[in-house]
Amino acid sequence: MPSPDPSRSAAVAIDVGGTFTDVTLLDRNSGRVWNAKTPSTPDDPSRAFMDGIDQALALAGIGPEALGHVFHGTTVATNLILEGKGAEAALLTTAGFRHVLEIGRHDIPRKANMYSWIKPKRPVPPERIHEIAGRLDADGKEIQPLDEAAVRAAARAIAKQGIRAIAICFLHSYANPAHERRARELVRAELPDALVSISAEVLPVFREYERSMATILNVYVMPAVSTYVARLSDRLKARGVPGPLLLMKSNGGVASAATARREPVQTALSGPAAGAMGAAHIGALSGHRNLISIDIGGTSADICLIQDGQPGATVEGRVGEWPLTLPMVDIVTIGAGGGSIARVTEAGALTVGPHSAGAVPGPACYGRGGIEPTVTDANLLLGRLTPKLLDGRLTLDREASKRAVADKIAKPLGLDPAAAARGMLSIIDNNMVGAIRVVSVERGHDPRDFALLPFGGAGPLHATALARLLGVRTIVVPAAPGVLSALGLLVSNLKSEFARTYLQRPPDYDRAGMEAVYTDLERAAREWLAEEAVPESGRAIARMAALRYVHQGFELTVPWSGVEGTIEAFHRLHERLYTFAQPDTPVEIVTLRVTATGSLPRPAPLELPKAGPIDAARIDRQKVDFDGQPIETPVYDRNRLGAGARIKGPAILVQLDTTTLVYPGQEGEVDRHGCLVLRETA
Amino acid sequence: MAACDAVTLEIVRGALRAAQAETEALLERTAMSDVIREKKDYFTGYFGPEGKLITGTPLPLFGHIIRPILRQFPAETMRPGDLYWYNDCYASDGGVSHLNDQVFAAPVFCEGKLSGFAQSWAHFTDIGGMRPGSMSPDATEIFQEGLMVPPVRLYREGKLNAELFRIFIRNSRFPQQLQGDTRALIAAVRLGEKRLLELFARFGRDSVLDAFAKLDLQTEAHVRKRLRTLFPPGRSSFVEAVESDGHGNGPFKLRLAIDVADNGIVVDATATDDQAPGPINWLMNPAVPQMIFGIFLSGEDPTLMLNEGLMHAIDEVRLRPGSLLKPDFPAPLGQRGLTMVRMVSACNGLMCAASGGEAGAGIASYALWYLRTTDPASGETLLMNDGVAVGFGGRPQADGHDAVYFVAQENNPAEYLDQLYPARLLRYAINRDSGGAGRHRGGCGVIREIEWLGPDAMLANRLSGTIFPPWGVKGGKCGGKGRVVLNPGRATERVLPPIGDGTTVRKGDVIRIETGGGGGWGDPFAREPERVLADVLGGFVSERSARADYGVALAADGRSVDAAATRKLRSNPPPVRMFHQGEYVDALS
Repeated sequence: MPSPDPSRSAAVAIDVGGTFTDVTLLDRNSGRVWNAKTPSTPDDPSRAFMDGIDQALALAGIGPEALGHVFHGTTVATNLILEGKGAEAALLTTAGFRHVLEIGRHDIPRKANMYSWIKPKRPVPPERIHEIAGRLDADGKEIQPLDEAAVRAAARAIAKQGIRAIAICFLHSYANPAHERRARELVRAELPDALVSISAEVLPVFREYERSMATILNVYVMPAVSTYVARLSDRLKARGVPGPLLLMKSNGGVASAATARREPVQTALSGPAAGAMGAAHIGALSGHRNLISIDIGGTSADICLIQDGQPGATVEGRVGEWPLTLPMVDIVTIGAGGGSIARVTEAGALTVGPHSAGAVPGPACYGRGGIEPTVTDANLLLGRLTPKLLDGRLTLDREASKRAVADKIAKPLGLDPAAAARGMLSIIDNNMVGAIRVVSVERGHDPRDFALLPFGGAGPLHATALARLLGVRTIVVPAAPGVLSALGLLVSNLKSEFARTYLQRPPDYDRAGMEAVYTDLERAAREWLAEEAVPESGRAIARMAALRYVHQGFELTVPWSGVEGTIEAFHRLHERLYTFAQPDTPVEIVTLRVTATGSLPRPAPLELPKAGPIDAARIDRQKVDFDGQPIETPVYDRNRLGAGARIKGPAILVQLDTTTLVYPGQEGEVDRHGCLVLRETA
Repeated sequence: MAACDAVTLEIVRGALRAAQAETEALLERTAMSDVIREKKDYFTGYFGPEGKLITGTPLPLFGHIIRPILRQFPAETMRPGDLYWYNDCYASDGGVSHLNDQVFAAPVFCEGKLSGFAQSWAHFTDIGGMRPGSMSPDATEIFQEGLMVPPVRLYREGKLNAELFRIFIRNSRFPQQLQGDTRALIAAVRLGEKRLLELFARFGRDSVLDAFAKLDLQTEAHVRKRLRTLFPPGRSSFVEAVESDGHGNGPFKLRLAIDVADNGIVVDATATDDQAPGPINWLMNPAVPQMIFGIFLSGEDPTLMLNEGLMHAIDEVRLRPGSLLKPDFPAPLGQRGLTMVRMVSACNGLMCAASGGEAGAGIASYALWYLRTTDPASGETLLMNDGVAVGFGGRPQADGHDAVYFVAQENNPAEYLDQLYPARLLRYAINRDSGGAGRHRGGCGVIREIEWLGPDAMLANRLSGTIFPPWGVKGGKCGGKGRVVLNPGRATERVLPPIGDGTTVRKGDVIRIETGGGGGWGDPFAREPERVLADVLGGFVSERSARADYGVALAADGRSVDAAATRKLRSNPPPVRMFHQGEYVDALS
């Protein structure tokens, strides 16, 4: 796939957000970048997608024929799942298990109050779940043949109801997909236009509720994602773009439009994954391969731990109410952002978030009718934001912020408005610290060993305070924090994972059997790389395995290095994550995995000119409330800072897409690629 | 004493919750027995220096856990690095309520002073006793239910008492699991200890202790206020039945009264029947009904901490020694979960009686079965321990939960059972018509059917609601009854006693358990016909019940409501009364 034709040296990345669609165009040869921003068009996201590309092409002064790759991060699948607006779908299940979704894991969630909790409505109701006789045992051996007549009858019943999205999940199909494959053939014979997914292809891993849910969610989002991707491909073709469309998957790799249409549920975390990849790239450029990235927008914050240049991965994810146990970038999302609303509850507690004022009506200071005090209002009130944002296109009303904070927070709590605003920020910062702990401490990492990399509109405003709370001594602020997700798309590689449950108990590990499974998985991986047209030189295939101590229920995934070496690596990881290892206890090998990567050419990084005198960049001064101390603080235009420019706190740096606050005692330097690297001096 | 400000208070609240989630995750990921990691039968939390609950859980099951330790080991004898352990129900006054639950707790010191406790308990699969799994319906004394551990010191200043540990491990049929579970639980306590120390270091001891006290007061003020608005002054009573003790005795009645007066609220259970010879006795810590009311009353404000403040909903709980809820030593306690859920249901009944039906209907007690055999190849004991879901009662605001076990506890997936045991799960379905009819339907129980593929095994099972199904309220009808059947549909079909042990199951036998549902809330004739139709299509309600219980007729294709016929059926609604259990009555007593 990497294009040998130098005329196709440009790549474009499109990140569709709730409010704006960001487009970044890159010339791979020079490393030059052009950014365009256009309002999103939720009724048909492909309009903003194409408008944005056209704007970016115009800025760069090139034509569509120069585009060698089009990268895209999408939230279409996520929103369908979160809003419960997917397709009417049907499920074929093993006889006796029609209520597999309704029963689920039969729990009232641990944090739920049983008196007020309401069981969430499943994406497919039981009347659209059809039982099919036929049974395999846990090793995949057939106990009872597939009832083919029942499959045909179910297909006809589904056809009559006008349903065209069909999931098939039979017990133990992770060990043998034969029944599912045959059922798919029979369904397709009856319903040639149906979209059919089988669980052995979506998630061949044991635990029937979770696998059924993943398969259903795949067909649930398939019609909309498929239509959407097809429309994008058509529009790109009509516009004369020669390069292929590549979509970001939850695992941080991209895949072709064809793959995304077949496995759309793999794009459930497409957007946040792109951000994590961008953070890893920028961090590495600035010489920081161990990072905690935090993307703070208007309503939420996405946090990811990046170790040795690689974002953490998990197979225990969730999307909304549902488990989605597919490989994904390990991202924790909390409802904390610039628009998060502060409230005093009836019991007298001060809470901030998860409710957000969003873009409309927005924070009180936007003057768009918002009257609730938000995090942005608290920042403005304390002088941490300048009264003008977006290069002066947005003027903020500090008095409105003060009114909202005074009336809704300060008075009920008996505080002065500044103290109330400081309290709001302490709480939101603390919530974010809690979420950072989830990806660091809970995974066995000390956050002090990492640099913090903030991005998104509100990231650099909060990061310096977060770093102090965490004991983190280095903060890396990218050159363009607002478009880091688009950058992540531009630097991504093709990536897919192939897994199979193959339970091996000590002391008799079936080494030949495991080798055969790996060989199978690697064949599938090679076929996929070929389908994606990755040349031999850009291909990489790696073996991983998920292990556990005998009787444990959760596995840890480590690189495969033969039975003994892999078990040794498992002991070490268990000790690091959970404080103890048990070398006296036998280890089971549960799931074998193969990851396939197809490398795309890396763009040349931006080179910033040398810095001039710092005073030339100073545009203003204002009073900032640092922990109750009002301090006169210089305001700098970040765009006027060249490579090597040194900044000493206190300082405010403004740029189009964000504001960076530097505390007294912190200072930093702009590196040659435009990253501002801040450090604690004490 | 340094007072904590409003902001510190919220940060302490957030930090406590985060630390609790972190210790829970560690325990689930590292524990070995499926009871902890799949069923999630455990609790991790913090307590204050005097043993007051600081971070609880919406699981009304345990009482004052730390006080028994403080009685044995006065605070001044404790040192940093110590770790205490017990499972003794009688010595803890029901702080834990059966011997399988092991409590581990570490004192946390700040500025040289005892400042709190980090605690975790979990259900350990086998700690000795008469049968694998330690809990048998056959038990007649607690001595048959496993090794009793009074409060002891397992670690002194970080040093393990290895001899004590070896004695414990030696007493289990599954020493490897016990060892792994113990390590996991200790790691969870140590993590909790570390987090609490960090909190003290950040804000100072006095400020954090003040935050604990304030969080307590917030919760207390909320539940007291809501209690007063829901329950007018006066005396109400309610009686809930526990059908059998598995030894031919019963029914046993839980007779409760609630007195709401200006100077306090008293729950009086002294009229409850005498203790049972079989193991359904529940040594109920008085804190448990206090927690039940508190959790109910705090339901609509998720910011409230579940702490000692919950327990101030009820000022006093009166129990009678020698009764089912306060049995004398050494009465067996192994199957106390059955009576415990009856008590949760009875509290619903008390709340309904006192408020005119403004609480949920009766709920079913979760079911359990165990199969034990010996692996002929290895000679090892094999134990399959499976919890089975039931239905909960309809509520003033919503239907009851379908197919749930209890708070936070999960099932064994079919693919897990098939992999690990010589068994095959044949069917796992909603038990149609088991949810009591109501404007808000009672939740349905389930049907779970397995085929046994191993050598001869001994079956124990526990099910309730076979004579007295969970009651309906305010016009809602009672839930359906459950049963356990061996070899259904074969010549050898046999309905088993709901609570019993010692049934032999042979290779090829099929065991089916059908569990009951919760009671309905409100008049079923007031339920929207479209929701009744959805229930019929989904397999929750039969067409017959739709007609008879809800007055809803379906069209000939069975896929839509016949509006005219429904109007006719509903034109003459049957009279309803406050409670229903087989028939409508004004009070259950």
